[in-house]
Amino acid sequence: MSKTASSNMPAPVTNFGVKSFPFPDGKDYYPPCQFGCPIRQDARGYMAAIAQGDFDQAKQIVLKDNPLATILGTICGHPCETKCRRGKVEHPISIRVLKRVAVELGHVPAPTKIETKYAEKIAVVGAGPSGLTAASDLAKMGYSVTLFERDQVAGGIVQNYVPIYRLPRQFIKNDVDNIAALGVQIKTGSELGKHFSLKDLQNQGYKAILLALGLPQSRSLPLPGVDAKDVMLALPFLKSVNFDGFRFPPNKHVIVVGGGNVAVDVARSARRAGAAAIHMVCLESREEIPASPWEIKEAEEEGIDINCSFGPRCILVDEGGVVKGLECKGVKSVFDEQKRFNPTFYEDKITAFTGNIIIVAIGQGHDLSYVKDMGVALNQRGQMAYNTDTMATSMEGIFTCGEVVTGPGNAVQAMASGRKAALSMHSYLRKDARLLPPPEKSALKELDPLVIEKIKKHERREPELLPANERVANFDFIEKPLGAENAIQEARRCLTCGAGAQQIDDKCIHCITCFRVCPYGVPVIESPTTVHIRAEECQACGICVGECPSRAIDFRSYRIDEINDRLEAALKHGSSRSSLVGFLCSYHPFNKRDKDAQDVHLVRTSCVAKIEKRHLLKAFELGAQGVFVAGCTESDCAYQNSYYWAQQRLQAAKNSLKEIGLGEDKVKLYRHDPSQPVTLEQIHADFAKGITADKPGK
Amino acid sequence: MIKGERKPLPEIRKLIAPYKKVLILGCNTCTAICFAGGEKEVAALASTLRITDGKDKVFTEGIVRRQCEKEYILEARKQMEEADVIVSLACALGVQAVVEHFPQFDILPGLNTSFLGIPMEHAVFNEKCIACGDCIIGLTGGLCPFSRCAKSLFNGPCGGSVGGRCEISKDVPCVWQQILDRLKSLGRLTVMEDVVPIRDWVSNSAKGPRTIVKADMKLPEPLKVEASSAGIIKR
Repeated sequence: MSKTASSNMPAPVTNFGVKSFPFPDGKDYYPPCQFGCPIRQDARGYMAAIAQGDFDQAKQIVLKDNPLATILGTICGHPCETKCRRGKVEHPISIRVLKRVAVELGHVPAPTKIETKYAEKIAVVGAGPSGLTAASDLAKMGYSVTLFERDQVAGGIVQNYVPIYRLPRQFIKNDVDNIAALGVQIKTGSELGKHFSLKDLQNQGYKAILLALGLPQSRSLPLPGVDAKDVMLALPFLKSVNFDGFRFPPNKHVIVVGGGNVAVDVARSARRAGAAAIHMVCLESREEIPASPWEIKEAEEEGIDINCSFGPRCILVDEGGVVKGLECKGVKSVFDEQKRFNPTFYEDKITAFTGNIIIVAIGQGHDLSYVKDMGVALNQRGQMAYNTDTMATSMEGIFTCGEVVTGPGNAVQAMASGRKAALSMHSYLRKDARLLPPPEKSALKELDPLVIEKIKKHERREPELLPANERVANFDFIEKPLGAENAIQEARRCLTCGAGAQQIDDKCIHCITCFRVCPYGVPVIESPTTVHIRAEECQACGICVGECPSRAIDFRSYRIDEINDRLEAALKHGSSRSSLVGFLCSYHPFNKRDKDAQDVHLVRTSCVAKIEKRHLLKAFELGAQGVFVAGCTESDCAYQNSYYWAQQRLQAAKNSLKEIGLGEDKVKLYRHDPSQPVTLEQIHADFAKGITADKPGK
Repeated sequence: MIKGERKPLPEIRKLIAPYKKVLILGCNTCTAICFAGGEKEVAALASTLRITDGKDKVFTEGIVRRQCEKEYILEARKQMEEADVIVSLACALGVQAVVEHFPQFDILPGLNTSFLGIPMEHAVFNEKCIACGDCIIGLTGGLCPFSRCAKSLFNGPCGGSVGGRCEISKDVPCVWQQILDRLKSLGRLTVMEDVVPIRDWVSNSAKGPRTIVKADMKLPEPLKVEASSAGIIKR
């Protein structure tokens, strides 16, 4: 994963960030992916980095906001993908697995201990996702943080219960070790209520305490027969299968009660543990089932039978106390009109499922009476009473976060809760309300269907799983690596939402050029007298920026600004008289960062549509002897018409060169055709021969 | 709008030969719209000249909204003061406006002002008007025979009009054929029977440059902007 890098890590060649200036309506917006992510990961940023083959930068972007990147890159429920606008074109971008690729292939300097800035010590109780995130955030702010974890290994639910075939434990260790490297002291085997109390912590000088206690107790159902021998609870079952080598004896027919992701984990684990058959039984209908669709798909491939709209009535047990099955009633509805959980049944529709093992996976809880005894107020439902803005409990200096207060959710939601609590604690300790998080921005709205129509379709790339018959035979990690090439191609599908063109009203002369050249119909004629570029619809190809006669179009991401800088940087390092400059689409095969051959200086940009005549002339101004542009074939290019505009600009540059007397043959255009790849050697040879014809393209 | 094209590079280089500090000043209206003199073309010309003459000259770049209006020209005053000469990428009106209001500055045209025209498609401009001052296109179906007929005929085609093409070139449509076709399609062919009277051609340049005065829009005396004083031309 991360290797220890030297301190002279090169500065990023490209700034994958987006300038934060307001949209035309004066507000700022998140791209939908970032808005959908509870911890506001800059998915757009790391997509851009991966699309250009820069895994190091991608990893840096991921790690900036995500202290559990290895874990989430493997198991995150990816709400970002649900919001991804590409979903309306064909399929969302595979953001989650691209995070995994960035973490695995990128290299960043190893984390080092952060200098303590503040005197106050902070205690975090519970090293699950929310506690780990809060601890990491607080350490990065400059606090001395001690993380108390009752288990022997940190990680909480993720460590104890997520099946190892979904998440190898080494991945958790990577993230936890990185957090410890920041200076967070992790004390395992230390349990609140058993080894220490809240008062003890206060006496030891901890000025703020965070209770990230989670929901580590499996709920049971008050069913007749639930006390029989072969009735198990989800969480203890998962732990024993993960770590104690628990396996079923032959001929066990397992019935799993529940429809959430934990129930699916239980079912799939039971399969691998040797169950002869597995039936899942849940209240919800197929449309309502809370488990993730991909989990359900993989479960059914593994031979698990999912039975929806059944409510358990009683566990069938024979006189010998042996479980025989589960009797259920048909479900009429699960949620009432106020969307509350309020199931209603067909009392006369009874179905019996046969089975000799029942595993109850209907939810998790936490008996907090020990916390109440320490002085923290609980509400009527037995949860800690807390302020949802400040995350403060009823006791001074004691805060809470994560599932223990928000209720069950996924890891990234818990992390967001921990992050919020950390900021709140910082604000509390510094006695400064301005340190609380600023009001949230909203998300860009859905894309105009007329723009969607014009976006070229490219199929989604997903990681391959082991085939189902191989998966069920063991607990091996089921997901194969996606690979760098697939990752780059997949990241190219990103629409770069909200990071494209923006009109500069003061300079715009409403000449209608952008309206005419845009392949997507992004600019509109808004009133009889104005053209308006709809920045929220822009696909960021860059064509209009180069065509605008008044330079009245700014680009929200840094990539266009940087072309001149990269050109100057490229030419600075070569002083040979026969220097060639190549402007490449950064998706080109010879964009690998170590491939600058002698005397050829490469300037990469995401799409040659961003290269203007002025860039080509500037290269000559700075002393280049020849300039080439290499763009993708029309079918490979993610955009439309880019090669055409590159040709136009090249022709304009040639005309200028002709005027100057420098010769038209000093500028050449190439097309990357994977079936006829162009090499740098060939380009060298072309310039040496002084060939004037362009390479034929498709 | 006014359409123009950049002068050939050798001509510009000859014009700027005696000077060292050259300001290339664009105009963000007509010549920007016809892709001859906007900020982008200013940058392109500056870049080109730096390659050819960067060793002994310094080139700066500027833009104003309209070079024909004194107040907008003023926006570039500092840049103009710091240069030895201005190469204007405005139309000739812009060049002359600078001479009119700021005679202390030396200014050269970087463009040839070509014609009054419209885009037929993006980036293709066609002459449609010669600003004769007495528009008769109401009688010709909205098409101007002065600018679009090679002989500027008033009352119908000449014998050289064949197949709808002008006798000077197959590429040039005969505007009189176009006028006839159009009036026919509008059902107004009888308009052709109104003879367009003889024009007094002596009027145009022989009477001197034309002036329009909008008396009821003029500013009151005390508010009129003072004409700038004559100054010394910088070298």
